[in-house]
Amino acid sequence: MAPTTARPRRTSRFPYLLVLPAVLLLAAFVVAPGCYALVLSLQRSKVNGGLLGGGTHTVFAGLANYRDVLGDTQLRSGVVRMLALGAVTVPGTVLLALLFAVLLDLEHTRLRRVTRLAIFLPYAVPGVIASLMWGFLYLPATSPIGGDRVDFFGQVAVYFSVSNVVVWGAVGFNMIVIYTALRALPPELTESARLDGATERQIVLRIKVPLVMPAVVMCTLFSVLAALQVFNEPNTLKPLSNAVSSTWVPLMQIYDQAFGNSDIHSAAATSVVLAAAALVLSFLTARIIQSRVQREAE
Amino acid sequence: MSETPTRRRTAAATAVLCAGLLLGTAACGGGSGGSGHDEAGGGGSGGSGGKKVTLTFWDWDPNMGKVVATWNAAHPDIQVKLSNPAGGDQLVAKMITAHAAGNGPDIAKVEYQSLPALVAKGVVRDITDYTGNTVKDYDRTTLSSAEFQGKVYGVPQDFAPLMLFYRADLFKKYGLAVPRTWDQYAAEARALRGKDPAAHLTNFDAADPGWFTGLAQQAGADWWAADGNSWKVDIDGAATRKVAGFWQQMVKDGSVAKNPSFSPEWNKQMNDGSLLTWISGAWAPAQLGGIAPATKGKWAVAPLPAWTAGDPATGIWGGSATTVTTDSAHPRQAAQFASWLNTDATALTEQVKQINIYPAATSGRSLPVLKAAPAFFPNQPDFYDRVAQVASGARSFPMWGPNVTVTFTGYTDAFSKALQSGGSFSGALTTIQRASVADMKKQGFTVG
Amino acid sequence: MTATESRAAAAARAVVTGGRPGRTPAPAPRGPRRRVALLPTAALVVGALYCVVPTLWILVAATKSRTELFSTSTYVPSLGLGLVRNVRDLSDYQGGIFWRWMLNSFLYAAVGGALASFVSAACGYALAKYAFRGRTVLFHTILAGVLLPQIVLAVPQYLLLSKVGLTDSLIGVLLPQLFNPYGIYLCRIYARAAVPDSLLEAGRIDGAGEGRLFFSVGLRLMGPGLVTVFLLQFIAIWNNFLLPYVMLTSDDKFPLTVGLYSLLRHGAAEASLYSLVITGTLLSVLPVIALFLSLQRFWRIDLVTGALK
Repeated sequence: MAPTTARPRRTSRFPYLLVLPAVLLLAAFVVAPGCYALVLSLQRSKVNGGLLGGGTHTVFAGLANYRDVLGDTQLRSGVVRMLALGAVTVPGTVLLALLFAVLLDLEHTRLRRVTRLAIFLPYAVPGVIASLMWGFLYLPATSPIGGDRVDFFGQVAVYFSVSNVVVWGAVGFNMIVIYTALRALPPELTESARLDGATERQIVLRIKVPLVMPAVVMCTLFSVLAALQVFNEPNTLKPLSNAVSSTWVPLMQIYDQAFGNSDIHSAAATSVVLAAAALVLSFLTARIIQSRVQREAE
Repeated sequence: MSETPTRRRTAAATAVLCAGLLLGTAACGGGSGGSGHDEAGGGGSGGSGGKKVTLTFWDWDPNMGKVVATWNAAHPDIQVKLSNPAGGDQLVAKMITAHAAGNGPDIAKVEYQSLPALVAKGVVRDITDYTGNTVKDYDRTTLSSAEFQGKVYGVPQDFAPLMLFYRADLFKKYGLAVPRTWDQYAAEARALRGKDPAAHLTNFDAADPGWFTGLAQQAGADWWAADGNSWKVDIDGAATRKVAGFWQQMVKDGSVAKNPSFSPEWNKQMNDGSLLTWISGAWAPAQLGGIAPATKGKWAVAPLPAWTAGDPATGIWGGSATTVTTDSAHPRQAAQFASWLNTDATALTEQVKQINIYPAATSGRSLPVLKAAPAFFPNQPDFYDRVAQVASGARSFPMWGPNVTVTFTGYTDAFSKALQSGGSFSGALTTIQRASVADMKKQGFTVG
Repeated sequence: MTATESRAAAAARAVVTGGRPGRTPAPAPRGPRRRVALLPTAALVVGALYCVVPTLWILVAATKSRTELFSTSTYVPSLGLGLVRNVRDLSDYQGGIFWRWMLNSFLYAAVGGALASFVSAACGYALAKYAFRGRTVLFHTILAGVLLPQIVLAVPQYLLLSKVGLTDSLIGVLLPQLFNPYGIYLCRIYARAAVPDSLLEAGRIDGAGEGRLFFSVGLRLMGPGLVTVFLLQFIAIWNNFLLPYVMLTSDDKFPLTVGLYSLLRHGAAEASLYSLVITGTLLSVLPVIALFLSLQRFWRIDLVTGALK
């Protein structure tokens, strides 16, 4: 990626002024809480003594919380569930988005404007509310989509039910990302292919899709990040059935530790482990993307 | 393409990190160096003394605003500001988080089972000194839910013995008798399935632990008990296993439904008559109006079925106390309000009307308003007489544990899983017992 | 560089023409007017239905009274005055607190979106247009910020903010949402593509200060991109649940998401107010749809893809 700026000036203090608000906010609301979480993760809250405890005090716990986290079987099954969900949501979101974008870009499709908007709209529906709506659609009592015959909260089905809400909310945004990439392709490319006698399908598969690969990769990265942080959907669906436990995915476990059991120290330790894993994973993904982009630039 | 030298990059990274750390520690230091929680006061409780004070009150009861307005009109110097940040167990979590930051309210509604935990974490204040007269209005059983080791930590609001609510019309239709024992209840549950495959006598509720603990209490379980300064935890004891085994069999037979109470699914079944009974607390009439509005006047109430015929024992489900927090700068005034709310005739009458509470205070139980049937039970004018009869046989655990949230989450998770995958209920009890004890030990309690 | 610019311009054009096919001359010559690709159109319609069905169900359900909600067929709307009554019930609930939540949501999203866009614009512009010590590190640190799940930071943020007495306040909800790594990333790209260095140099030769250049040249040229950043952040704040849920304790400061959730999970062993929740859900979705429809011309998500070229 070659820098587009010609000759930026080195002397001025002005750029520091410009980045100052962002840096302060970063320090105050990301770095400081992050460090504070690190500190909390090394502590434990202990009661003062007596039957009723009589208040609590904080003690240094070393790595005890981390030992608990790493040995926690609930967390492990939560991670497995998260991966299972991701295995559905990431390809589901990206492939559907790509499909819709390609269809929108075809010459002879109709109703483009209205369908494009309709598919995009769920993006503006908060996850909590989306889960609520789908919850009503799943439950036999209120289901207009056959919930009285299919158990949407069955042992396997529940993964697809939760994934569906995630995909529903995400596909529109990703579709627009890919669609705009498609519209930005120079028309000459497809024209000359068409003159060479290529069919519409060939043009899509051999020319368009490879050319918008960067956008598709970016959508994949977004979806992976979202999959790691899945929380709102299962958390809102939880009270509707017996299928979702309070530690169903890792973030729900953190939430339960912090706001259910009021054990911020365990929550902090779990958070740190999870954030580290997420960082490594995204770093790897970003690396892959970067090498891809570089290869393309050459 | 020129690359920034690595050394410079690292230096800058360190700088950014340090800035953050500095900011973080500065923020920490700023507060903890100060005078703690007094200035926080949770919403502008200003100076003390004879001046006007404003108290914040967290409560999730619908229409509590009307009751508070009555107080505010009569007490210009002690104004109460009501807020509803969350309900039930979530409010407890909010209180603990707020307390960690010194931001708690002055007064809060707390369910009995959460009270020991809040005492243990130092969130709720000992108000013995302010409630000397108030406690005279309570009998021992009721007060024991809010009084531990001789100290009063809250003023009890309501008392909710478990009872059997049943659809009188449908019992007649299917020729069922009101069951007096659990054996009879199980037999009728099976019989009903034969008569109408779409109907169930009730559902097994894996989502609400308060319901199950009530049933365990009836069977004589003592999940927690104090032994000097150490705790005895007995969640998977014989009495509880008996209850779990009973319901496991019902689930296995298919004689009860499996969906959680208060879910939309359950609401529908309560509405359309595919559920015939509800084992619930005395507050049920107010809830039924929201759950199954189509069934007004069709319900009746009976004592809970007994394990041996004629045994009047029952458990309790829910019930709350009004507490004063350690963050409050005006505990005297806050306790005064809590006492008024739960013992004053006007305040209680209004709450019976608005929230259908069955008062915890002895004087409250003979209020004229209790002579009338709840709005949803026009067919049962003696409703509160029946509650009063049952109340005398109600028993709770000797004490609730100091980490009930862990136990309750454990119940929901373990029993939901057992229902979902056909696991054993007694195995679920073992899981809960282990998790509860482990957490208590981790927090530093002595478990004997 | 010129290639990038022309591509960005093409992308921008694509959004406009894509928005209203047929009115502006299409980039590629069209085939015979009557040819309709049936299968692709059908597939798109199915996709569109999939996306609006939940909203339609909510619309139907909101017409039902509490009694009807769980006792009548789920497909058929109630023809009575159910919707009117539900809206009235919702407006009566705790003295009309629902409308307060709606107002709060708009306030948080609009103010937060505007301030966050400005912060992002300033930072992105500096990252794109100036070389200064720590630029690369800062940029990478900011990008890493995307990776930290919000839930990880929520409790420490609450505890830190409470030390300075900012919890349960408008500021406590707004401040943490002003830092938007993705917005900064977009602004950096947009400053690169839309603000030519030559223009800045010319301004400097004319004696304009750096500040004036930023406000009068930089911000102006980045304008369309800033609308995108604003709308993205607006939606992000509008959709946010966890931060306000943790930060707020007064129900009159709740945004819609927290308010509706509190209606749903009312209290232990208490009947959830399903018909109110459903009506509230409907009313909360409608204004955002309206906002989208009216602002869709300004959407420039093409920036996201322009970034990858």
